[in-house]
Parts: sequence; structure tokens; C-alpha cells
Amino acid sequence: MFRGGLKLDKALVARAKRYADLAGYSSVEEFIGYLVEKELAKLEGSDSEEEIKKKLKGLGYIS
Amino acid sequence: MNVGVSASTSRRYTALIVLGVCAFAVSCAGPRATTGPRVIVLGFDGLDFGLTRDLMAQGRLPNFSKVATQGMFAPLGTSLPAQSPVAWSTFITGRDPGVHGIFDFIERDPKTLVPYLSTTRTVPGRHNLPVGPWRFPLTAGRVELLRHGVAFWEDLEAHGIPSTIIRMPANFPPSGKAARELSGMGTPDILGTYGTFSIYTSDPALVGQSPSGGAVLSVDDSSGVVHAHFDGPNQPFLRTPQAMHLDFAVAVDGTRQFAKLQVGNATRVLRVGEWSDWVPLRFDVSPLQTLSAECRVLVKELTPYFVMYVSPLNLDPLAPAEPISTPSDYAAQLAKATGRYYTQGMPDDTKALKAGLLTVDEFLAQSRIAFEENRRQFRYTLDRFDGGFLFYYFGDADQVSHMLWRTLDPGHPAYQAAIDAPRAGVIPGIYTDFDAIVGEALQHLRPDDLIVILSDHGFASWRRAFNLNTWLKTEGYLVEASHTSADETGVIGDIDLKRSRAYGLGMNGLYVNLKGREAYGIVAPADRDALLTEISRRLLQTKDPATGAAAIAHVYRREEVYSSAGYDDLAPDLIVGYAKGTRVSDDSPLGVVGPEVLTDNRSAWSGDHEMDPPSVPGILLSNRRLTTAPATLQNLAGTILQQMGIRGFPH
Repeated sequence: MFRGGLKLDKALVARAKRYADLAGYSSVEEFIGYLVEKELAKLEGSDSEEEIKKKLKGLGYIS
Repeated sequence: MNVGVSASTSRRYTALIVLGVCAFAVSCAGPRATTGPRVIVLGFDGLDFGLTRDLMAQGRLPNFSKVATQGMFAPLGTSLPAQSPVAWSTFITGRDPGVHGIFDFIERDPKTLVPYLSTTRTVPGRHNLPVGPWRFPLTAGRVELLRHGVAFWEDLEAHGIPSTIIRMPANFPPSGKAARELSGMGTPDILGTYGTFSIYTSDPALVGQSPSGGAVLSVDDSSGVVHAHFDGPNQPFLRTPQAMHLDFAVAVDGTRQFAKLQVGNATRVLRVGEWSDWVPLRFDVSPLQTLSAECRVLVKELTPYFVMYVSPLNLDPLAPAEPISTPSDYAAQLAKATGRYYTQGMPDDTKALKAGLLTVDEFLAQSRIAFEENRRQFRYTLDRFDGGFLFYYFGDADQVSHMLWRTLDPGHPAYQAAIDAPRAGVIPGIYTDFDAIVGEALQHLRPDDLIVILSDHGFASWRRAFNLNTWLKTEGYLVEASHTSADETGVIGDIDLKRSRAYGLGMNGLYVNLKGREAYGIVAPADRDALLTEISRRLLQTKDPATGAAAIAHVYRREEVYSSAGYDDLAPDLIVGYAKGTRVSDDSPLGVVGPEVLTDNRSAWSGDHEMDPPSVPGILLSNRRLTTAPATLQNLAGTILQQMGIRGFPH
């Protein structure tokens, strides 16, 4: 999948492969895809700076 | 809500499943003690020791005095820092912030430097199925309570003692480990904020304002009917965020000074100056799903301009989109028995008063509504309390004290005799309300029962505002961002983190910009100690030019005051103990650098407690002498559990 478009450090891939096997993923590609998706979900689900400020200002303590 | 957005269904189902499991666990916890001695703990947020003592001496708190005569009345040492989420988490777990992980109202992720409310985190669903402009969550998101450690009621339940925990701060979502819980401070509105109010108006003097913690929305009343909409959270199924709307109409009769609100199937006749009851709201999430909410409305003016205040849109207690109780239907049970109520954790609308969009009298009327709702629930709960442990919380003394403490301090920069002198009895009046609450509890006590009354911190006049980031800049530790580049990477507020050695964030926190910990860290770990020593010394030398007195009473170093349980990276390196009367400025906690370090506090928010903890003790009252040693929030739960024959707490 990413082999054609992405370069990853060999040692990193080796570590990922070890844990992919341990965790029962069918391939290192599937494992890395899962990790990327997880991080993206965090970013996509996070608030904009303005939304964060709005939430914090709801405290009343700050303005 | 970004939080609650997901508000709807998938998360709700998850919550129901989780709560269902918890309810099952509770129901299987073994025999319940319903006939032994009972323990009632009343939590009065922000009740000040000095003022309580004075009012008791004047004979104005007879029930407090009665309890004190039977047992004890003493100052209660608060947490470090003296902030409610920190303080109540310390009470709940019997441990310091290093263990429970709540260090401030506002914390930051050192890797992203994004600030967040410390007690909860929203975790989005992990997988979405994108279809055109839509996305369909395949796994549910959830809201997580970030307080760690073991809550004292877990030990009660383990010993077969049923516990009822009502409105405990820093307990949203509810732990699920008590027999009954209703979440309190920390519970958001449907936007995921701690409360965002709205003003709908045709007044050109108001339109265009951007009040902190609220919104002003322009409407056209020229036809005699105002058409507008309530803003809900983002549509959870759209790939591009877009807020849900709920249309409403208000027919205006300026001559007779009333208006008719129509929203969905609900109609309310609104007289100028009168608060509405709760108006149920339904946002359409999808053809098969709705998001329930509720609001209260105050028509402030109809002529010459239309001005209508709308409360934060609260989670509907009859169908909450987030888990707010244990068991999950307990919130609805309370609503059916005592009426709809504020589910928002901090209901008193301090922000609208601070912005001048509610008057003092309007604010006090709204605060009284919230108090009466809570008192009805207290009576309902007390009447059904047949054994075990009951904790019940009241928050209005804290919120009103923030807004009206200057009425007790004619030397306050914002004091206006004509407005404030006639209201000098407001805060003492709340104390007498609490005395009546204690009186009601005493009527339910049997001879062997224990009652404990506590507050998490006291109060003081907040006269002087200290901008910690301005001070750091002045002293050469912080570099102000130029804001001239479109690329704001490494900038938080006005702070250029690529060039700053330290920064202030949150109410009492000071962080070293530490290499290896912070996203843009520049201070080598080997230099941290010397830097902290130097900053501490210079902070303590800082004098307020207006008074000549020290602006900072104490500076605490994290490793000297907190345990280490895995959250060190979240903790401030220094906790600043501002001298009594001084608090961090309004803007510094989010990284703003202002023109001056110390300024007069001219805000309506005139009382505070985020000062050096020994200067703002809470209270401890009990019908038994619980301890001869100085009492602290941290050791109190363990002491109470020992009275119940339970040892081994805290863990």
C-alpha cells in the first residue's frame, strides 16, 4: 500500500512488524494503517482553537 | 457538542451499555446496609471560614452553631491550588493532584500545547464510513473522566454501604461506582462548553458584541414577529462541520409588554422581566434521531428594542445525550419527581453578568431558580435516604461570591456604593439559606447518625490582577509572538514558544518550556532546577506598586508538593500562590501578554479563591469531633470512612 509512496525507517518498520505480529495484525501495513487512522481520528475530532477557547471561557473565570 | 455532538446516538448507546453494566455490578454487590448509622455529607462550595465564623457569632446560623456545639467547627485546609476541580478531586480520592491528575481548571497537552478543561476528554469514534458529504460512525465516541485514583465511595460500596453522590464536582461522566449519582460541576451544556448563553436582540448597541462565554445574535423585530434559531452542536454525520439549528419565532406585543415564543410544539407566553420555565428543545439529527435539550428564557425588553436572553442549552434530564447519572435513568427520575432542572454543572450565569448582559437582579433571580431546583431535589433525596452514605452539593455560594464579593468590600476597585451597598446582605443570605438546609438535614438525623458539612475553599476580595505571562516577559523568560506571520506554529496565545523559557497557563500554573517534554522545548533538563529557583525567587520579590506589599505569597515546586504517579508531565513546574487579594488576570491563563503586570480588577467578578491556599480555608462542621489535628480536604474522606469503621482509605 504505502510502499510505493512512503519511505519509512527500516528499524521503525522492523519494530512495527514485531508488534504487528504480537498484536495479531495480518500484516505490518494493516498495523501501520491502523495507527495512522487512530492519530488522524484524534486530529479530525479535535476542536479548533476558537472552539477550545470558547469552551474554556465558559468557566467564567477567564475572558 | 463536539463532545456531545456525537451527542446523539452512538455515544448514548455506549453510555447506556456502560451504565447498564455498572448498574448490574451495583445490584450484584451483595447485601446492602440500610438500617445502620447513616452519614450525610453536605458540600457547600466556596463557604468561607471567616465569614461563616462571624455569622455564627452573630447568631445568624443557628443550625451551624447547633452542629458545632455537638461536635466541631474548624477551618478546613484546601487543596493546592485552591480550585474547585482540584479540591473536590482531592476530597474524593484522599490524594494530591499528583495522583488524581487534576492540577488546574485548565491544563495543556505538552506535546500539542493545546489547552483543555482538565476533568474530561472527548474521544471521537475510531472509524467513520464516508459517503458523499456524510460520515457514519462505525464505533462510538465517548466522554472520559480524567480524574484518576480511587473514589471514597468505591470503598463504601465494597463494604456493602450504599452511597448516593449528588452533584459531586469532577465526577462527569459519573463514575458508575456509586448506587446513585448525579454529575455536577464539569457537566457541559449541549455545545460541550461549561455554559454558553445567547442574547437575541435588535438593539444596535448590543449587536456586534462578542461576550466571553456567550453570543449576541442580531434579529429583526420590525414585522412584530422575530424569526431566529437556536444553535446546536455540529451535525455528527457531516464530514464538514456544520452546526444544527432549531428555528423559533417570537410574536411581540410591545404595548402589553409580553411575547409569545413558539419552538417545535412548545409555546410560552413571556412577560418582560419574568423567567420562563424550562422549554424543551429537539434538534433533528437525522430523520430517525433527535437531540434533546432545554433552555430558560428571559425577555429583557420589547421596546424600543427586542432583547431576549436564552440560557445555555442544557442536556435534557429526561433524555440526556450524555451520561449524567447512575443508574442512567436516575436523572429522569429526579426530573419527573421534582421538575426539570439545570443539568449544566455550574448553572449560575456569571458570564452574562460579567458581560453586562444580565443585571445583578436578573442574575440573582436566575441563581435563585437554580438553587430552588437543587433544594427540591435535596428534599426528595433526603426523604428517601434510608441508609448508607449521602453526599449532596450546593454550588451557588461560590458562584454568587465570585460576582458580589465586592459588596462586602467597599475598598474593591469595582465597588459602587449605590449599587453594592444595598446588596451587602446577599452573600450572608445564601449562608442563612444553607443554614436552613442543615436544619432540614438535622431533622432527618437519628442519634447515631453522622453529619459533616464542608466547603472546598474559602473566599477573598479579588482587588489586583496579575498577568503572569507579562511578568515572565518583563523578567526576560518569555518572548511575545509578533503575530505578523501567517504561520503561528509554536505560538500559544501571545507566547512564542520557540523562544520562551517559561510560560503561564491555567489559573496557577507556570511551566518550564522543557526540551524533551514540551513540543517546542528549549530548556535543557539539566537547567530546569536552576531556572525554577531563579523564577521562584524573583516572583517572591515582586511587589505590588499600588500597595508595596508582596504580590506572591508562596511558590510551590511540583516535586515538593505532589506525589508522582505518572502525570508529572501534565503538572505545572511551579504553582503560584498569589497573595490574598491578588489573582491571575483574566487573560493570562490562555497565554495573553498584556501591557502591565499588575492592574486593578474592575470586573464584576470581584471575589475569588485562586490565591495562596492557606489564605482561603474552607469550613468543616460535624456533630462529632472528627479530628484534633488540623483538618484538610485531603484527609477528610479517610477520617469519615474511619468513623464508619472502614480503614485503608486513601489507597
